[in-house]
Amino acid sequence: MQAQLLRRTLPSLVLGLLFLSTPAMGICLDKYQELFGQLQKQTDIMQCTSLLLDPYIKSQGLDKDGLKEHCRERPGAFPSKDALQRLSKREFLRTLHTMLGSILHRLTALQRDVPKAQDLETLNRAKQNIRGFRNNIHCMARLLPDSSETTEPTPAVPATSPSPTPTSDTFQRRLEGCRFLHGYHRFMHSVGQVFQEWGESPSRRRRHSPHGGLRKGVRRLQLSRRNKRLPPRGQLPR
Amino acid sequence: MLALQTWIVHALFIFFTTESVGELLDPCGYIKPESPVVQLGSNFTAVCVLKEKCMDYFHVNASYIFWKTNHLTVPKEQYTIINRTASSVTFTDTSLLNTQLTCNIRTFGQIDQNVYGIRIISGLPPEKPKNLSCIVNEGKKMMCQWDPGRETYLETNFTLKSEWATEKFADCKTKRDTPTSCTVDYSPVYFVNIEVWVEAENALGKVTSNHINFDPVDKVKPNPPHNLSVSNSEELSSILKLTWINSSIQGFIRLKYNIQYRTRDSSIWSQIPPEDTASTRSSFTVQDLKPFTEYVFRIRCMKEDGKGFWSDWSEEASGITYEDRPSKAPSFWYKIEPSHTHGYRSVQLIWKTLPPFEANGKILDYEVTLTRWKSRLQNYTVNDTKWTVNITNDRYIATLTARNLVGKSDAAVLTIPAYDFQGNLAESKCYLITVTPIYADGPGSPESIKAYLKQAPPSKGPTVRTKKVGKNEAVLEWDQLPVDVQNGFIRNYTIFYRTIIGNETAVNVDSSHTEYTLSSLTSDTLYMVRMAAYTDEGGKDGPEFTFTTPKFAQGEIEAIVVPVCLAFLLTTLLGVLFCFNKRDLIKKHIWPNVPDPSKSLIAQWSPHTPPRHNFNSKDQMYSDGNFTDVSVVEIEAANDKKPFPEDLKSLDLFKKEKVSTEGHSSGIGGSSCMSSSRPSISSSDENESAQNTSGTVQYSTVVHSGYRHQVPSVQVFSRSESTQPLLDSEERPEDLQLLDNTDSSVGNFPRQQYFKQNCSQRETSPDSSHSERSKQVSSVSEEEFVRLKQQISGISQPYGSGQMKMFQEISVADAFGPRTEGQVERLETVGMEAAVDEGMPKSYLPQTVRRGGYMPQ
Repeated sequence: MQAQLLRRTLPSLVLGLLFLSTPAMGICLDKYQELFGQLQKQTDIMQCTSLLLDPYIKSQGLDKDGLKEHCRERPGAFPSKDALQRLSKREFLRTLHTMLGSILHRLTALQRDVPKAQDLETLNRAKQNIRGFRNNIHCMARLLPDSSETTEPTPAVPATSPSPTPTSDTFQRRLEGCRFLHGYHRFMHSVGQVFQEWGESPSRRRRHSPHGGLRKGVRRLQLSRRNKRLPPRGQLPR
Repeated sequence: MLALQTWIVHALFIFFTTESVGELLDPCGYIKPESPVVQLGSNFTAVCVLKEKCMDYFHVNASYIFWKTNHLTVPKEQYTIINRTASSVTFTDTSLLNTQLTCNIRTFGQIDQNVYGIRIISGLPPEKPKNLSCIVNEGKKMMCQWDPGRETYLETNFTLKSEWATEKFADCKTKRDTPTSCTVDYSPVYFVNIEVWVEAENALGKVTSNHINFDPVDKVKPNPPHNLSVSNSEELSSILKLTWINSSIQGFIRLKYNIQYRTRDSSIWSQIPPEDTASTRSSFTVQDLKPFTEYVFRIRCMKEDGKGFWSDWSEEASGITYEDRPSKAPSFWYKIEPSHTHGYRSVQLIWKTLPPFEANGKILDYEVTLTRWKSRLQNYTVNDTKWTVNITNDRYIATLTARNLVGKSDAAVLTIPAYDFQGNLAESKCYLITVTPIYADGPGSPESIKAYLKQAPPSKGPTVRTKKVGKNEAVLEWDQLPVDVQNGFIRNYTIFYRTIIGNETAVNVDSSHTEYTLSSLTSDTLYMVRMAAYTDEGGKDGPEFTFTTPKFAQGEIEAIVVPVCLAFLLTTLLGVLFCFNKRDLIKKHIWPNVPDPSKSLIAQWSPHTPPRHNFNSKDQMYSDGNFTDVSVVEIEAANDKKPFPEDLKSLDLFKKEKVSTEGHSSGIGGSSCMSSSRPSISSSDENESAQNTSGTVQYSTVVHSGYRHQVPSVQVFSRSESTQPLLDSEERPEDLQLLDNTDSSVGNFPRQQYFKQNCSQRETSPDSSHSERSKQVSSVSEEEFVRLKQQISGISQPYGSGQMKMFQEISVADAFGPRTEGQVERLETVGMEAAVDEGMPKSYLPQTVRRGGYMPQ
């Protein structure tokens, strides 16, 4: 029993420590609503395919008839919207932070397949935006009240974005990159919807508001979550 | 010559003392510090250390050192010999920015040799950079600038530092030519707050500016809108529609705009109200423009909430509003030239083109119409600005309109007079003469004047009437004379007015007036007034008008009547108020408090009932010692034949007492009185008969208590106002005095009794006012006691009224009361009742009588 508990909590603790151990340099924006607004604006921007996917498809010559259909997100590569919605705020932010770190790595890898300087610049800009988004998530996590109940089960979301199977096939690499970017934009769209729910649900926000007590609400959510058996990785509902 | 010798010696010395080139450059000593940077205004000390080798060679030591700054020897007071080899120099309040300092020695007593030299650099530490601000030009990197503060005179490096909460960015080093601004290397990330500050550093220190934390999107200077285009509307000639493409930042932020416009030939920009362009858009319709006018537009944008910077102005774009019909008819005139054809003449109509602001479009052609008197009009379309036509010698009316794509202008009308037109001017007729100048480019503005060939007096005088008539003035008014009857220029009017009998008065009035006020008129007078109008040639009277001034001015009657009425009302009101306030006094004077006989319970007195038995019965009821109060009743017996029952009862009481206590009677009261149903009247009658005096008998009333809840009169004995002679003693005070002296022993007793009664009343009432009243009673009672004594003295007199007899009896009863038990008891009973009445409805009816002492019949 103890071993099972340890197995459950250890990854979460590790992730939490990683998440919280981000070196704090500058001063975070300490106004919840402003920060929340910034996060929403960022998700609005980052889910837009014209910033990353569309230029990639065009630059990689995948905009031909019949090819676009293959540029679909690989199942399980990114958490589904439902999975994200089931998370508590803190879990959600932690998951998001982790996922964005993986995405950054993947984008760096993708840059190797993009020879054009213009596309490189586009990817660099996207990476910078993601770093900024992570910064805001970090600040938002600091604004949320401290929760000692971090022993909850690890969210059933991929801790890191799955790297594609190494392949020497250039076309396949391009297609994988396209699928990844498709998944990335979809993921950011889902994130935006979760944030929208934060804004629309005052009770939920109240539970997690830095100004209000939330332990009771959090506990209730956790209990309900414990009773749910989340689908195994790679079979997240889409 | 001396200088040459010195130079040669110097050269030789160097030559001989130097063994090699390397040694030539080897200094003889050195200065510490080597490269000093000194803060301006601070102290600075330099030390020169000589090398042993050099010292030995030149036979010098530190005392031989002297210092020079910029080739000027430093005073020795600033030197300090540290030891044999070292000497220092100190400068206080360094003010020179760049100073050359040399350490020198004097060898052989005359040769100055430079040992070492340094350059002192002076300056200031950097000040804290202020006013740090950043701007993000859209599509470019962020640039920040600041105020570096004072001049440091030193090379100062500024470094712009920036970081997120989780990430630090590379420093931005300023370039030498732009030390107060720096453009970062990274692209700004919108919606992520960044912290920025500046570090300034030079040889004297390092200082950091305040940190600023902002979202780069709030520092954006967008690119201006581009592809600005202007289009007009055929439906509306006063609008132009602008369209443009917003910069790509529209995807991140909402924008607001400034739109400016001007006409092509103007340099002044007008601006669309900012509130009309306060939201993101890509088109705007500008209204209230002039038709067919070219306008130039430009636009700029910024973040909707006002944070950030305005973009640069866009490229200008122009457009022309659509045409409108000409707003004005062209002016035109004519030239008549004689025609070779008899009966015809050649008329040239000339006009000029409308200016653009009146043409409102491109004038396509002109339409001319010619109308001869009572004939059909003829239309002509002309493309030129002049037109020649042959017309008859008749009079013609010509009209001209200009036409553009939208429509025609209003018509300009011109009369072409008949060929044989000659002046046939009549005298005393007014003519309007108009002169229109014709210049090379068209007619000028016409001028008109009225004129008479010859003036005459008016053919009719003005009709005057009154507009308003007052008591002493009248406002007259009249109409201007019609032009037809003026016969000239009316110079002035004269008003004549008079009364029937008075002289006529004349008043001159300027011709521009149409009303005049006659003043100083007499009221209620008939006036006759007439008026004359004068031209330069004479005047003419108008009809006479009569009016009558009123006797009173408007409101005068009201001004008199109203105050009088108000005064009357006020007086009445005051009178009523006075009466109300003094109602008690008035009531006392007019209607004294009179006991209500209807409340009497003793209706009859039965002489058959032996009073003694009654008293005896009362004796059984009250012990002797119960004599606590007594009421003394004085009964008025005036001419009124109906004495009050209360008075009668009191009278009966006393009479009965008298009968019961004394067998002797004066013969006036006694049984004869008691037997009567109206004892007081009968006694009064008897008094009248006995005294042979007038029928009016008025005496005082003694009230022992209140009447119907009224406070009893303070005057237990009040003197009657009657003029009826009462007693001789009253008329002869000396008798009274005599009586006072002689009967003092007798009179004292009833007096004491009386005061005892009052005291007992005072004891029963805690009211202080009542006490005062009792005092009054005491004081008044003394007077009444005198009267009482007079009445007592009257007993011996053969005459006296029954009333007097009654007082006599009272006095006697009082005087002898203690001797007679029943009598005392009787009085006691009455007094007790009075005392009891204090807290009961005030009536002096003896309740004991009610209980059985008396039997009302």
